[in-house]
Order: sequence, then structure tokens, then C-alpha cells
Amino acid sequence: MKNTGILFFPAFDWSLGETHPEREERLLYTQEQLFEEGILDLPQIKQFAPGMAPLTKALLAQAVFPSPEHHDLDAHLIAAGSTLILGDALAKGQIQNGFALVRPPGHHAGATVLGNRGFCTLNNEAILVNHLRAEYGYQRIAIVDTDVHHGDGTQDIFYHDPNVLFISLHQDGRTLYPGSGFVEEKGGPNAWGMNVDIPLPPGTGDEGILYALEEWVLPRLQAFKPDIVINSAGQDNHFTDPLASMNVSARGYGRITERLKPDLAVLEGGYSIEDALPYVNLAILLALAGEDYSGVVEAKRPTRPEVPLSQIKPYIQELKREYDQVQANWLWRAEASLPGGYWAYIPRTIYYDTEGFQEMRYDRVRQCSHCGGTVYIESRRPPFHTRHALVRVPFAACPECRQAGYDLWEYLIGRMESVTFQDQPGNVVQFWHISKGVKVFGPSDPRP
Amino acid sequence: MSQVGIDVGGTFTDAVLLTEGVITKKTKVPTQENLLLTLLNALDQLDVAGKELEHITVSTTLVTNGILQRRLPEGKVYLLPGSGMKMESFAWPIPYEVLSGEIDYRGREVVQPNDLEWYRAAQQWKKERESNLVTIVGKFSHRNKIHEERLATVFRQADPQAHIALGHDWGQANFYRRSLTAYLNLTSTELFTQFASGLEQAVAQRGIRAPIMVLKADGGVLPLSRIRPVETVYSGPAASVLGAMAQTDASSFVVVDIGGTTTDLGIVLSNSPLLSSRGAQIGPFATLVRSLAVRSVPVGGDSAVIRQGKELSLARYRLGPAFCLGGPVPTPTDAMCYLGLVPFGDRQKAGAALASLMQPQELAQTAQHILQMVAERIAQEIESLEKEWREEPAYKIWGVLHPHEALQLHVWASGGCASGLKTYLEERLHTKVRIGRYPEVSNAIGAALARPTFSCTLHLDTVLRRFRIEETGEQGIWEGSKRPHLEVDTFLEQVALRLAAAQGIDLRDAQKEEFDFFPIVQEFKTVGQIVRGALHVPPGVRGRIS
Repeated sequence: MKNTGILFFPAFDWSLGETHPEREERLLYTQEQLFEEGILDLPQIKQFAPGMAPLTKALLAQAVFPSPEHHDLDAHLIAAGSTLILGDALAKGQIQNGFALVRPPGHHAGATVLGNRGFCTLNNEAILVNHLRAEYGYQRIAIVDTDVHHGDGTQDIFYHDPNVLFISLHQDGRTLYPGSGFVEEKGGPNAWGMNVDIPLPPGTGDEGILYALEEWVLPRLQAFKPDIVINSAGQDNHFTDPLASMNVSARGYGRITERLKPDLAVLEGGYSIEDALPYVNLAILLALAGEDYSGVVEAKRPTRPEVPLSQIKPYIQELKREYDQVQANWLWRAEASLPGGYWAYIPRTIYYDTEGFQEMRYDRVRQCSHCGGTVYIESRRPPFHTRHALVRVPFAACPECRQAGYDLWEYLIGRMESVTFQDQPGNVVQFWHISKGVKVFGPSDPRP
Repeated sequence: MSQVGIDVGGTFTDAVLLTEGVITKKTKVPTQENLLLTLLNALDQLDVAGKELEHITVSTTLVTNGILQRRLPEGKVYLLPGSGMKMESFAWPIPYEVLSGEIDYRGREVVQPNDLEWYRAAQQWKKERESNLVTIVGKFSHRNKIHEERLATVFRQADPQAHIALGHDWGQANFYRRSLTAYLNLTSTELFTQFASGLEQAVAQRGIRAPIMVLKADGGVLPLSRIRPVETVYSGPAASVLGAMAQTDASSFVVVDIGGTTTDLGIVLSNSPLLSSRGAQIGPFATLVRSLAVRSVPVGGDSAVIRQGKELSLARYRLGPAFCLGGPVPTPTDAMCYLGLVPFGDRQKAGAALASLMQPQELAQTAQHILQMVAERIAQEIESLEKEWREEPAYKIWGVLHPHEALQLHVWASGGCASGLKTYLEERLHTKVRIGRYPEVSNAIGAALARPTFSCTLHLDTVLRRFRIEETGEQGIWEGSKRPHLEVDTFLEQVALRLAAAQGIDLRDAQKEEFDFFPIVQEFKTVGQIVRGALHVPPGVRGRIS
């Protein structure tokens, strides 16, 4: 039995469109199920009230372009803020683990935010991780993403961070949104091996995903020895999910939770609103609280063909071999306009499916053997020519990378339309906009 | 017209006669083992025999005590939990038997019952039963009562004398609480009915024709014959809150009723007492009984003061009246008496009581210290009650963007010892403490002036064409459109009017909650809606004491 915190925020007055999967109805039946089971009456379960995150907290993890005011962030700030409330309760020892059952989700929202993608605008887990590091001094954090979709946003945010281990188990990107998440994506040059993507074939069921967990995820976690483990608990691996093709059951999710023992689970996707969510949410919550979840049985039975364990075992073993053999291949260059040192240059594009546009990204990270290295990301949304920049001084930055960050920030002001400067060790974000000047977001900003 | 209010407390029973908002008579009689005799004694003291009265309102501890002292008859409990959480996850204070059949969260049948198993269960019950009381509760029966009703039929066929309670009559979610609530209500019915008929007869014998009303845990009143017995639990604290409302013009404040053994706390916000977000807890029974957000703190004027080494502490119990009133041990009342804060008690005896705790030269200091301890314990509970209110969960963006404001609430204190603790509470809470003019009969005033509450909560599923009313457990067919708007508003009003008329309640003060509309989507098409809405008459008082 564990003291488990729950923050249930179903956002019953928020949707991305009347028939959109991310709609008012999404957690309605979960509420019915949890309330009817009376799970909040269990002595070890404590319910917390939602709250809004200060914008500072979001900006310490993500740059919002062209400016934060340009977007309607209320719902997203509440989902993130609610996650922080559980994080605080955990850090203060009020709970032993917790489940942020909140909407909207966040794991497709990356280091730069130009709009909504994959139903996400702000990344709840990333905001939480940086909050825990800034406020409570946690050093090593692991995020395990068990949503069926690759957690590309979370990966993007921590790709260059040697102190955050990100592991994503998902349906193979060749068969599903967002199309990324292959074993080659092992992390940035200063955080090589801190990103683990495990693309599973469609049809993988309980036994397959648990095999990957036992044979790959748990040993990797054990080697990393994180201070805290966060689970991006998407529920669309379920055998009834309308957007994906996996075969995991509610009890399978219970077993995943029981084995993974996350300190905090945060809801991500899962759009089988009637046939999966009430059951999966119940199973996860029971598993966290140390209660028997074996009685949680869906009304529907699986109908999809399941990949047998005998077939999935060698598949996963082969993936792991591939992962181990992947070699880094970076384009290093010194640039006249950038502070001293070598910078890896990583150009890429990001597709925003909700509104249907593309972001051009030019990512650079400063080579460093002492810290994660200064990160510099330039962002543009064609056909517009205006450019935006994110400069990040990472947690535990070395003095050189810190100086490089400050130099870059000063250099970029006036050269872009807006610049976000994340001073993570200082817990301060500065934002400059061509028509508004500099705004400082400090740790002392009150919660609205 | 005149009204009578009677509040049965643990030690004393208070009664008042009000005429046009003026207290024309008040009395206090000791509470006896026999509640009926106690009530009649109070009535006789008020001298109302043969008088024209508007009503007599009673707040009674009958059912609460019956449950807590385990004096209720036992009955069999049959549960249909289906899948989900294990039954063993909860501590069940009563034995039960599990039968087959499962309904889901929208009220659809998932697993059909095993008829043979049901039949055998009923036959076995018939053979081995100790009483004819049977409680049947299914998970999600508040969404669909079909299994409960069918199982009841099976039991009635086995024995037409079976007295059966069904879970869906308590139409709120929470299978565990619904089971216990249905059980408690069934098993307390006989006790309450006997009491009710005894009271009716005795009142009639005194030539009083006024209706007898009973105070509920939510601060409302219902006629004796209409009330569900378990709803009468914890009406004492509700009476305190209403009594305070009847004596002040303030609209928001904390109520502190300091009794002999316990101190009851409540909150009034904008002229409405705060309702608890969960049902009442009665000993080991978690229920769905709507109640005010009240706390009972085990500290009062008669709490025993104990010395352990050099430290003084307050016991959670009472050993008798205060030493200065002839009791056995020192109490906070002795401290008040010694300091001259209350107009009763033998000051010499009070001093002797305090001297038994500390050196004689430190008596005044000791007395102050005791009262600070009392104030501290009460203050901590007030703070936690306020915190609970501020931190109530919200499920909508709107709720988070419009949080409860932090209010500086003043305290309204009642009870015989209220005046003695005034300055100590003020010092500790940094807020004003006001005391009513009739602190000793405040609860009886609250009972006399309580007005009926009413609540009608609609849950409508236009795809499955079913509606449910939470308060009565009514379930029916929806014949309106798939996406109703104004239609559902009219529908709720009609249901509410019908229910209110049956209970003789005036809906003029009713407040309507904003409707929640959930579009139901299948295959990316909207096929209907789930609609939730409610209409309430919140608890309150009919008038104020002048």
C-alpha cells in the first residue's frame, strides 16, 4: 500500500473541436468509473486540487513563439500546473507516488512551440522535470513514455541533456504519427545514449511490451540510477484505441505500472474514450496505490491479431543490438557569429498537424565535456521570413557554456523577431520581442 | 404563528418557542436514555399543550446513536460488484454476499446475471435468515437499476414478506457508500418509525395539531413521515450553523458551537452553509448522506484536564461536569470560572481544581494556559476546514480560473462557554469573535427556523435515451431530442416541480446550476449528448431572531 496522490483534472469545458478526440467527453467515463468505485475513499489515496502553472515554469522548458501571449494557454497551463502540484507533494514527502490524470496532454510539444501539435501545446512532464530540478535540486531524472505515439516533444526538449534519461516505447513510427522514434535517435552529442526509442510492431500486446520493459527499459533505468522516475502514461496502446493498432489491456497497463514503479505518472494520449480509458486509468491508479488491479476487466475483448511473444522476443533483441551499434555522426563546425568552441549543427523540420504547417529548425549545441552544452535553436515558420531563437544554458552548466549562452543572448537581440533565453541553473527566463523589449520571468513570480 | 425547535444534544436537550421571531420561552432539560421521554419533557417545559403552532422541529440523535452503538437489527446484504476494484480493497463494516451481473458506467448490461445462482441465493436466505431485511446494491445501479429490481423480484418470490432496500434509491456515484447507505437506512427504519409514531401520538395527546418536522444532516427539514431515517444523522451540528444564521446579519462567517464534550464547527458563505463534498461518515460507515461541511472537535467546557509530569493536556473525553459545578476533575470551565469569565460555578472550587494541577501561586497563569490550549485545538480545526474549502477540486477550466477567494471570516461562537473563550480565540485567530444573545439555546433556534432544502440533479444520456434523478433514484426513458438545449431546461424544471410538490416545498428560492453538455462522438460523428444539470434550494433559515 502506497500513499498515492491523484490530481484529476478532466477539463470538462475544453476541447479542440466538437468531434475531436481531445474533447469534453474524454475523461467523463473515467470520472464515472473512479467515483463509482469509490477509489477516493481508499485511505492511502489523497486527492489534490488543480492549479495554474506560472508561465515562467513553462518557459524554463519551452520557448513559445512568436510570443506566449499569441497563444491561448489557459487549459495547458492548468494541466501543467496540476502536474506541478503533485510534483510538489511528492518532493515534500506528502505522497509516495502520484497520478496526474489531466487534460490536455503534452508529450508532442517540443523545445519550441509555434502552435498545437499532436493535441499538445505545453509539455507537462518537461515542465515538471525542470521545476523539480530548479526547486528541489533533483539531479537525475528518467522519463519513460508508454504512450503508443513516440514522445517526440519530450525527446526534443531533453535531447541534449545528459542528466535526463528519456525512454519511449511506442508503435513503430513507419506506421503511426508522428513518424519518428527510431533506435538511431540516441541523444545529442553531449548526451549520447540518454535517449532510448523502442519502436514496437503493430499488434504488440501485454507480453511483448512487458518483455521490452524487463529486458531493456528496467536494466537501463537501473544503470542510470535516477532520483525520480516519471511515466508519460498514454493509454493508446490499448487494444481498442481508434488511432493506433496495439494490443495492450488495462491489466497490462497495471503490470507496466507495477514493474516500472514511477514516482509520478502523467496522463498523455488514449482516445478509446469508452472502451479503454475508464479501465486503464483505474488499473494504473490501483497499481500505484498498491491495490489489486487484477479484477479490472474491459467490457470488450481484443479482436486485433496479436504478435506472439515468440515473434516479438527476437524482434526486440535485434532492435537492442541495433541500438548498441549505432554510431554518432555529427556535423561539427565553428561559426564566426557564434561564441567560441565547436557547435554541432542539426537542421530539421517539425510538422504541426493540428493547424497543418511546418517549422524549420536549425539546432546547434556547443561541444562540451563538462556539461550538457549551450543550446541554440533557430526557428522559422515558412512562408514567413521572421526568425525566432531559443538560447539555453542547461542545468549544471560549466562556466564557459554559461558565458557562451549570455553572449549569444546579447548577440541575438535585434537580429530576430523574438528570443527566449533559458538560464536553467539561475531558474530565470528572459524573453525579448522586437516590439516589446525584454521581459524577465523569475522564480519569484507569483502563481496566478 | 409560533414555532417550536428542539435540539437533542449528548448531555442536554434545548428547546425554544418562537413567536414572530421573538423567543417567548426557552428551556434546557437533561437528555435521558429514552429520547421520546426527553422530547416530551422539553415540550412540557415549554408549556405548549393545546397551542396553535406552525410546526415543531426536532433535531435528534436517535439514528446516529443507533448506528454508533450498533443497536440496529442486522440484515443480509447482496452486492453485484461486477469487475473493477476488488471488494477487499475496502474495509466493509458489514458482511455481504456477492452475486453475478454487471452494468457499466453508462448503464449498459455487460454481464447478464446467472439466474440459477440468484434463485439459490434467495432460497438459502429464506431458509437461514434472521430477519426479513435485505439490501441489494449493484455497481452502477445509479445508471441502471435493472439488476437490482430483478434480484428484488427473486427475493420477493421466495418470501413476499421480505423487506428490501435497493441501492439506486441513493442515486449518487460510489458503490461502496451507496451499499452502506442503503443498508443503514433499511436497518434504522423500524427504530425510527417507532420513535416517530410515539412522538406523533404524544404530541396529539397534548392537543397539538402542528406538523412535526425533522432536521436533516444538510440543514433542511422534512415532515416526520417523509424523511429517510439515515438522513437525520448529525443534525446537531447543522442546527448550530442554522442557529448562528438566525442570530446575525453577517453573511459569511465561521460557526463555533462550544459544548461540554465537543465543539462543532461549520462555515457560512454568502448566507448559505457550506455543504460537504463527501457524504457523512458515521462511525465505520461511509455514506452518501448529504451533510453540511462541519467538524466535531473532541474538546469542550467539560473536557478533563490532565497533568503529565510538568505538562498539561486536554483529554478527548469528559468525566462529568466541571469541578466548580460539583464534578470530579478540573476542566476548562474551572479555568473560566476562576478567571471570572463565566457567570456560574464556585470560584473557590475552581481554584482548588486548578491547584490540583499546578502550584497555587500560578493559578491564573494555569487557567490562561488551559484556555489557550482549548483555543489552539479549535483554531487548528477551523484552519483545516477553511483549507478544505479553498482546496476543493475543480474539474473545469472555469473553476480553476475563478478560485474561492481567501476570505477573512469572523467567528460566531455559541454554547455555554462561548464567552469564556472569546478573547482566547480572538488572540489565536486574529479575527473578531462574536457571541449571540442566546448561546445556550442556539441549536434549538436553528431547528425552529430551518427551512426545507431541495435538490434535483439530472443525468441524461440522449443516445441511450435514459434519464436519472440523483436524489430520488428515479430512472426513466428520455423521449426528447438527441441534442436538447432549452428542452432539457424545461424537463429539469418539470421534474423538480413534481418532486417539490410531493414534498410540499416552495421552489421560488431555487438556484439552477449551469448545465454541462458532453457531446458523445462515435466514428467521428456526434450522435447525442450526456447532459448534467441540477436545481437546488440551499439550506438556510426562514427568518432571524429579533
